[in-house]
Amino acid sequence: MFELFQFIIKSRNFILFVLLEVLSFYFIINTNNYWSIRYFNTSNFYAAKILDWSNKAREYARLRQVNTDLAEENRRLNALVTQLQQQKPQVPTSYQTDSIFATRFQYKVARVINNTTTHPNNYITLDKGTVDGIRPGMGVISPTGVVGKVKICSEHISIVTSILHSDYMVSSRLVKAGVIGTAKWDGIDPTRMKMLDVSRNTKMYRGDSVVTSEYNSIFPSGILVGRVIRVGEMANQTFHDVTLAVGTDFNNLSFVYVVENKLQGEQEKLEQTTAPERK
Amino acid sequence: MTLREILNIVFLFVLYLSLQILIVRNLVLFDVAFCFMYVACILLLPAEMSLSATLLTAFVVGIIVDTFYNTLGMHAAATVLMAYVRPMVVRFQAARGGFDGRIIFSIHEMGSLNFFNYVVILTFVHHFTLFLIEANNIFLFLPALVKIVASTLFTSVTIMLVQYFSRN
Repeated sequence: MFELFQFIIKSRNFILFVLLEVLSFYFIINTNNYWSIRYFNTSNFYAAKILDWSNKAREYARLRQVNTDLAEENRRLNALVTQLQQQKPQVPTSYQTDSIFATRFQYKVARVINNTTTHPNNYITLDKGTVDGIRPGMGVISPTGVVGKVKICSEHISIVTSILHSDYMVSSRLVKAGVIGTAKWDGIDPTRMKMLDVSRNTKMYRGDSVVTSEYNSIFPSGILVGRVIRVGEMANQTFHDVTLAVGTDFNNLSFVYVVENKLQGEQEKLEQTTAPERK
Repeated sequence: MTLREILNIVFLFVLYLSLQILIVRNLVLFDVAFCFMYVACILLLPAEMSLSATLLTAFVVGIIVDTFYNTLGMHAAATVLMAYVRPMVVRFQAARGGFDGRIIFSIHEMGSLNFFNYVVILTFVHHFTLFLIEANNIFLFLPALVKIVASTLFTSVTIMLVQYFSRN
């Protein structure tokens, strides 16, 4: 008996070691044991509290990821809104829109990796290309307004003609006045645009929104282009000289949506068949 | 042990456990290198502390970390094994003439090379056990081995860095 005690005392460390290991492995193998479910996991009140603090501190570091997620969610919602809008156009109720026509706009999120606003012809570079389904001719919009049109695509990069470009024109509509015109950049100030072809007979309102018209094939209708800030008179006195504040903040452009119109090719092909007759 | 030493140890535990749980828990390099720097609070326990007490401490530390990783038992098993092996490693190093007498585990007392050896060997024991338990499958042995080597390096370097920058 004495020898047994002596043995236990002599090798007490080894016995303790084996006991603790056996206990640990009991926990590991028996994953549904009472202890690991009831107390020793992150749903434990104190553990959850500590993790909550640590999360609050790390939230700042994750803002970038959060932004990406929100942009992705916006893309989804934008697609949904356009679809719903297109299903209910401003026409008599008896008119039914074709469902393919209503769902023709698809959105893709891309990040701006290069952007100029100071040249007379400005281009924007995006971090996505043909691999992600972007093709030349697609429209590009930002959360705050129209951005431009895809010009060139490589596999992973696309270049977009910004609306701040001397040749670029957007068919747009004055919301309150209800007339169609063309928005174009005059090449001077990246926050100002001109709206052409607005007849003198039209009653103009300061602050009226200018949105993309239904005549666009690359943008969904109703995307903000800018707001009217000044109305003057053209030299020929036939049209208003309308100045707009550009809706998109080109200096802080980070995430944009590339809009794919699935019926664009079909529409353009059909319209081209009438082209020779026009002249 | 004096009161000062005890307070030192308590501070050590709070420091390393909170670093582990709050900061390096989500720190993974290249999907293979994990950082389990909490092992340092067992590694830095004074040598004259009895082995039984060290084993119990290791178990408690392991269980606390397990709670936050939702892996009850794994860290505890690995940490207890490491604590049990620790005196053997110390004896082995002392026999090779690395150091003698009353050992204080710090970079200043032992010298960088000796201290690094001590940390790497014991961290390897810990990570080897931990990742093998976690893999739990013979086919996952190779990926686990990569993780073991990468994580051992990462953890050891982190512990060395913290040691360099904490004077006392």
